[in-house]
Amino acid sequence: MPGMNSGINVNDPTVVAAFKTALVHQGIIALLIFALLGFAWITVRAWLPAARAAEGAKGSTSAAAAAEPAWRRLLRIGFGLIWILDGILQAQPKMAIGLPSQVIQPTAASSPHWVQQVVNWAGTTWSYHPMQAGASAVWIQVGIGIWLLAASRGPLSRLAGLVSVGWGFVVWAFGESFGGIFAPGLTWLFGAPGAVLIYMVAGGLIALPERAWRSPRLGRAVLAGLGLFLVGMAVLQAWPGRGFWQGTSHGQPGTLAGMTSAMAQTPQPGFLAGWVNAFTVFDEAHGFGINLFVVVALGLIGAAFLTGRRQVVRPAVIVFAVLCLADWVLIEDFGFLGGLGTDPNSMLPFALLAVGGYLALTPEPAAATEPATTEPATTVAAAAGWRERVRPAALRQSVGTASIQTVAAVGALGLIILGAAPMAAAQASPNADPILAEAIAGSTAPLNFAAKPFQLTDQHGRTVSLASLHGKVVLLTFLDPVCTSDCPLIAQEFRAAGQLLGASDRRVELVAVVANPVYHQVAYTQAFDRQERLTQTPNWLYLTGSVPQLQQVWKDYGIAAQILPAGSMIGHPDIAYVIDQAGKVRTELNTDPGPGTTATKSSFAVLLAGAALNALRSS
Amino acid sequence: MNRPALLTSVLLAAMLAAGCGSAAGQATAPPRPATPPSLATSLATATGTWAVAVMGGSAASHNNFWQLFARPAGTSTWRLATPPGVASNGGLVLTGLRGGSVLAGFRPSQDLAYSPLAITKNNGRTWSPALLDAGLADVPGALAADPASGRLLALLTDGTAEMSGPGGTAWTRLTTRHALATSRAGTRCEPGSLNAAAFSPSGQPMLAAGCGRPGTAGIFSRTGRAWQFTGPALPAAYAHQAITVLRLATTGGTTTALLAAGTGSAAHLLAGWSSDSGAHWKLSPPLPLNGATLTSASSGPGSSLAIILSHRQAAAIISAAGSWRQLPVLPPGTATLAPRPSGGWNALAVHGTQLTIWQAAPGAQSWTREQVIKVPVQFGSSS
Repeated sequence: MPGMNSGINVNDPTVVAAFKTALVHQGIIALLIFALLGFAWITVRAWLPAARAAEGAKGSTSAAAAAEPAWRRLLRIGFGLIWILDGILQAQPKMAIGLPSQVIQPTAASSPHWVQQVVNWAGTTWSYHPMQAGASAVWIQVGIGIWLLAASRGPLSRLAGLVSVGWGFVVWAFGESFGGIFAPGLTWLFGAPGAVLIYMVAGGLIALPERAWRSPRLGRAVLAGLGLFLVGMAVLQAWPGRGFWQGTSHGQPGTLAGMTSAMAQTPQPGFLAGWVNAFTVFDEAHGFGINLFVVVALGLIGAAFLTGRRQVVRPAVIVFAVLCLADWVLIEDFGFLGGLGTDPNSMLPFALLAVGGYLALTPEPAAATEPATTEPATTVAAAAGWRERVRPAALRQSVGTASIQTVAAVGALGLIILGAAPMAAAQASPNADPILAEAIAGSTAPLNFAAKPFQLTDQHGRTVSLASLHGKVVLLTFLDPVCTSDCPLIAQEFRAAGQLLGASDRRVELVAVVANPVYHQVAYTQAFDRQERLTQTPNWLYLTGSVPQLQQVWKDYGIAAQILPAGSMIGHPDIAYVIDQAGKVRTELNTDPGPGTTATKSSFAVLLAGAALNALRSS
Repeated sequence: MNRPALLTSVLLAAMLAAGCGSAAGQATAPPRPATPPSLATSLATATGTWAVAVMGGSAASHNNFWQLFARPAGTSTWRLATPPGVASNGGLVLTGLRGGSVLAGFRPSQDLAYSPLAITKNNGRTWSPALLDAGLADVPGALAADPASGRLLALLTDGTAEMSGPGGTAWTRLTTRHALATSRAGTRCEPGSLNAAAFSPSGQPMLAAGCGRPGTAGIFSRTGRAWQFTGPALPAAYAHQAITVLRLATTGGTTTALLAAGTGSAAHLLAGWSSDSGAHWKLSPPLPLNGATLTSASSGPGSSLAIILSHRQAAAIISAAGSWRQLPVLPPGTATLAPRPSGGWNALAVHGTQLTIWQAAPGAQSWTREQVIKVPVQFGSSS
């Protein structure tokens, strides 16, 4: 998929170090947010004893009045913990560079073209700013998790559910390619319809008004939906021709055994791989029996959920939980081991949802189901008009009576903003992070020596010497006009660098010298310029000359232009020099563009423009 | 049904449709018209014989390099003669110039969108550059030269035909596929893609195409500023068959055309010869393809033609007076055939970076190994 693979090793030390630094910096800010909020909370409570007393009175009346329904608590805490785990997984050092190419791209590979286009857009967007995107995902997910854990009730808690739905959709659509539901081979065993879709369902439930939780109808609806889904998955699992009925086929593992066999190859503790391998062997021997069991189990469990009757649902939930656990360990291989796992896959969320549905059918203790006689302050405030709520007295009371959970929830919101804000700012910039170019090309070498003079002919047939460019910063490189790979990309990087320079562009010359001893005529520099749309770039010079002239310049600037045999293009290094206004070489840049994605091209352009601006400032 | 159940049903139906849709069968594709053979071909000039083949054996196109081999007249040894300085991953197209010189054109590849040209006057020992500021089409007949005037003709990737002044300078647009199709001559043929370019013995530009109109062989000659339809009149038996002109070349005062007639298992090849710019043609007997596909076509001395079909089959025809003769089963990996000076053919077989040259004398029952060339392919140099 174009744009996604930056060509940088996911373990590249430059990128890993930058990602860690970004996380540490933001982590310190996150701690400061919580520390400041905690300090403010303690201070306000100390200054407002009346409010504290009011809170004490409120607590005594509200605590017993409206306890959170058990199954809501289960979903909130369960999915809160999963979001935090997902956030921690996002902090893996390889994630910043590896997510587009090693997670998103493979997931989308078997999906329809339109899904690939949507996902490719997102992957490319991530690739432009991998540090910001990677850190953003960490803090947003940790923030959602803390928010869900901290805010147990009221509008703040419901808002956490909504945020969970919103961010969940982003992850499900762009990170999981819509959970693979548009790809062939859909099966519950491998995680369909995507773990994050279940997060979204849970988030949607948490966002519902409190009155919805007081009735068992909601729980029955959840179980009915889950039951219908499982029956559908049973039908799909039983569908012939999808390779699930065969343990092996033509000497190759069947669909399920093939999947588990691949999962066992991922780096993980030996005993876990042993379990998965043992299951693979068992499935290869008894593929039909295993699939029959899965089909029957899913069908029966789904049917039991559809009844909505507690006595029937209870054993079904137990069996379902065991089945989920077995699938999670033996087939999904925990979902996040080795490779670049971003979540524990779908079985834990499924089990949580089913257990939650069952708890909804269980009557709550009478005291908890009674309507509160005295509404908590926050609820009262919510019911009041906004003018009432923003009155200083009301605000003082709200702040003074805020619980530690509320403070933590506000801190979590701060975490989400902490993650989202730099990403939003980065997205506003059309230019990629120069860290990509630095990672590909290595660090730049600061220099300070007089540039060797030259006198060559430009693409218009005019004589140009280095002396004639005195007073301008010169970005100098060496390009083969009939090169098929790197040189056109470098030319584009130069063109983009010129555009990035803005008004400073007038004080910078973008200069290339021909690096081909055979195809070096002016006609070729002109053809190259037309090909690369450089004819309208006013400060672009493509210089050439006789072979002896060119050889002298190559020698002066350390360029070896080698004629290679057997249909190869000219071999030459991809180097750029930054020559300042006084004619001194200030920087040498490796401009090898790697795979030449839009992100890396943009990144090199930013690097080149930055080097030119530095030279302008230091001259 | 309550609302949650309805929603889940809709979701379920969508998932089932998505999952089961993958098992659906694919519609049967209609028979495709014949396509020109690959760029692997050979060319005989006054000073030697030339052959083009792709080497490397890699799945990645940027690690497969097209090579040019030359066997100078009077010698029996082939040698590597690929022009230096340009990556040949996109392919090489050849044509003969006057005095035994040869022009090679590099097809575009990766980010190179135009076609550098190279000319040799000494059997490939040295080359001098020339330029076509556009991309050559992916057909072996994309370049042609008029020995008398020195003008060149080129078919481009965008369906345009360009012609140069003497010496390969000052290229100008000659026509486009669309313009040709809407010309008076074109309406007789309804040409699809342009497959080959040539100059007639009298120096008129000629173009070859596949015709949308059945029973018509799409060959056009440029007289003054107008195009004339100069394809051969085919027998009535071809009236309802799709005809595609696959190759067109002029050597020694004769223009030779290779035609495909019919589709699928009924397809066969025809050769045609004209000595008067297409006014009159002689046609060969048909060569049934029996389901095989044409992979390479080469011209030899005396307007002879040799073709390679799939499954290591090959055939050759000497002239209009003769008929197609099956050649011995080809050695594995044979990319193209080239005429031998003493009669018969060489088979150039490629295995990775090794070229093996086999020879079969006229009437021979098998091929014998003649020479092996190891080519120093620079893997990774185009990535």
